[in-house]
Amino acid sequence: MKQVKPFLIAVALSVTASAFAQQAAPKPETVIKWRQSVYQVLAWNSSRIKANVDGQFNREEVVRAANSTAAIANSGLGALYAPGTEQGKGWHDTSAKPEIFKDGKKVGDLAGNFVREANELAKIAVNGDQAAVKAQFGKLGQTCKACHDDYKVKD
Amino acid sequence: MSRQRIWDLPTRLFHWSLVGAIVFAVVSGKIGGNWIEWHGRSGLFILGLIIFRVIWGFVGSPTARFANFIRGPRAIKAYLKGEWHGVGHNPLGALAVIGLLTLTAIQVFSGLFANDDIAFAGPLATLVSTELSGQITGAHVWLFNGLLAVVGLHVAAIVFYARVKKTNLVLPMITGYQALNEGTPVVPHHKHSFVLRLAAFVAASAIASAGVYAAAGGFIGQPAPPPADHQAAPAW
Repeated sequence: MKQVKPFLIAVALSVTASAFAQQAAPKPETVIKWRQSVYQVLAWNSSRIKANVDGQFNREEVVRAANSTAAIANSGLGALYAPGTEQGKGWHDTSAKPEIFKDGKKVGDLAGNFVREANELAKIAVNGDQAAVKAQFGKLGQTCKACHDDYKVKD
Repeated sequence: MSRQRIWDLPTRLFHWSLVGAIVFAVVSGKIGGNWIEWHGRSGLFILGLIIFRVIWGFVGSPTARFANFIRGPRAIKAYLKGEWHGVGHNPLGALAVIGLLTLTAIQVFSGLFANDDIAFAGPLATLVSTELSGQITGAHVWLFNGLLAVVGLHVAAIVFYARVKKTNLVLPMITGYQALNEGTPVVPHHKHSFVLRLAAFVAASAIASAGVYAAAGGFIGQPAPPPADHQAAPAW
């Protein structure tokens, strides 16, 4: 009896722990929601920058949006393309093509370009004039497009 | 060697402007970034060209008019047997003309409602839901392959004429004149005065310009204000 009790407690603890461990890995649906949300925030930022490079230039607004973009770019977005999230629904069906989960090296390069140009935009936003920001914003957009062209499902 | 006038100046201007504008639109679309704005502008320009050509198909010189070159299957069959001796678009080539005009029109029209999912949207995209705009964008990308195929067919036919039938179709589209074999009668090209033809050209151009203005969103007011207007946004 004396040896059984600690054993039962150990079993109970390990069962509970593994249940927690399973919960700790987010559900695919959650991961897909996160990654879809990230792109929505990027869209918010890019629409602010676009409004400022096409119209009246408000540096503070551009710096905020560029910093937010760079922060997202540097946040380790690759983790949002975890195995098990190839298909499924987040807020809507995933727009990621199956290839993005397979072409590791190429996707990594494209993502690296995005991070580099996003960092550059955050740098230029601080001192650059409207034309310089616009030019860099265009470069950043090209890195978005490069990935969309190959890895985003067209409706 | 006598020569026959076959293409009027507006038709030739239309043709080569369209070639240039489509090449420009394709290249700017592929580059992306800030060039996407030029992709949009070239699309509007192409739309104007298409509207002009459709009007010119009714008021242009005889070889430019749809009624004179769009023929039924019987005429196409006769042409394939070598029994066609007309001037201008042959009955088979007429199909290519219609195909190119239609596919180009669909391409630019869909572009008006499309968006690039980055920082650009067609001038009329605000008129449809985001979801529909996305679907139209998909069609815009996909249908381009169809246009590319018909352009390829068109160019292949020109090469076929040059190599096999020993007929240069490119030069007449530049000079307006086609060389005739000795003895072939020259057909009078115009029956209208220069002033009347100029008036038709000006009117067609004006209508095309109005169409471009409308397509550019000229009648739907300003686009929606950008989110988080910094003038009105709170400091945080």
